[in-house]
Amino acid sequence: MKRLDLILSERELEAVLKAVDAAGAPGYSVIKHVTGKGPHGRVSDAMDFSGLGANAHVIVFCEAAILPKLREAIQPLLDYYGGVAYVADAELL
Amino acid sequence: MAIALEFEPMDSSLILQNLLSPPVLFFFLGVIAVLVGSDLEIPSPLPKLFSLYLLLAIGFKGGLELQHSGLGGQVLPTIGAAIAMSLVVPLYSFLVLKTRFDGFNAAAIAATYGSISAVTFITAESFLDTQNLPFDGFMVAALALMESPAIIVGLLLVTLAAPQKRPDAAGMRWGEVLREAFLNSSVFLLVGSLVIGLLVAAYSPGGITKMEPFSDKLFYGALSFFLLDMGIVAAQRIRDLRQAGAFLIAFSVLMPLFNAALGALIARGLGLGPGNALLFVVLCASASYIAVPAAMRMTVPEANPSLYISTALGVTFPFNIVVGIPLYMVLVNAVLPAAAQP
Repeated sequence: MKRLDLILSERELEAVLKAVDAAGAPGYSVIKHVTGKGPHGRVSDAMDFSGLGANAHVIVFCEAAILPKLREAIQPLLDYYGGVAYVADAELL
Repeated sequence: MAIALEFEPMDSSLILQNLLSPPVLFFFLGVIAVLVGSDLEIPSPLPKLFSLYLLLAIGFKGGLELQHSGLGGQVLPTIGAAIAMSLVVPLYSFLVLKTRFDGFNAAAIAATYGSISAVTFITAESFLDTQNLPFDGFMVAALALMESPAIIVGLLLVTLAAPQKRPDAAGMRWGEVLREAFLNSSVFLLVGSLVIGLLVAAYSPGGITKMEPFSDKLFYGALSFFLLDMGIVAAQRIRDLRQAGAFLIAFSVLMPLFNAALGALIARGLGLGPGNALLFVVLCASASYIAVPAAMRMTVPEANPSLYISTALGVTFPFNIVVGIPLYMVLVNAVLPAAAQP
């Protein structure tokens, strides 16, 4: 079992979730209003009123076999809009 | 045709009245909070709630008034001129900006200045109320219809003038672009509330008094509270202005002034009264920091948001609500023929 963590702008969340779905991931969790600091400086939710929002954190647990499809679907979006993704091993408690 | 301009000596009380109005004072309070390092913070869902409330209330009230005024007389020409301005302003703004910025940034900033700021418009309406100058509900329709064209022009400029080799075609899916331009939450809510106001005024007038405590009585306080948050956000953007540079900062003051002068001449040509003329000028002179930045972030991610958000929010918006509105009133009074004055 693998765990995929994605940090991206809330603006692109829908597009990324569609890609995650299309790649065959069994499900995902989303945490919105994620603030912090990235390579382009601080990320805040001060512009939330404008629809720009802050970042979102997407967590996907899936079998390792799905990872190549996820990478193929998500990498272009992250390359274009920005964002990061990390994969780690996970095991059921 | 020559137009004789008669500028009254600058009425300092007009500026002072505007400066000392509750919304502007609360805006300053927000700015000061950031500058002195106060921990004043408005939790993020609240500004969104208040911004939606302001759009709903102004759309609803505009719809009620539009039902009374109808679509005759100055209404359609004014709306047509407003749309034309939102198409033309990004074009000449782009030509100016292209001398210093790449196609992506020039187009995104140009679209920002072609579109409008609903909160500046609302603040101008409050200013007119304090001056006892009447204005019409159809100006809200002009406000709603000026948001989208600038987004479309901005994206057309990107396709025409930006480097052709974009890394991903996803940047220009026209279906999404049009949906973002015409169905983004602020345009959707504003137009929807306008239509509801029209329908209520025509078929269910009893609903007007029931809505009044929400859409009317709370309005001024909500505007003041929202401007407190805008002061905080604008001040937080000040440090980003270093990235913008002197050229862009000058642009973000001079371009609204130029647009205001052009708007005042068009208002004269349309035969608008001083109230409607001021609102038309404010629409021409304001810059969007809600609909356009969100659309540009999605469709032109190559452009640097610090440039187009910080200038619209950190320079043009404060300039307009503090100095611009009374200044444009003086301009309108000078440009409009004496017969149009109250």
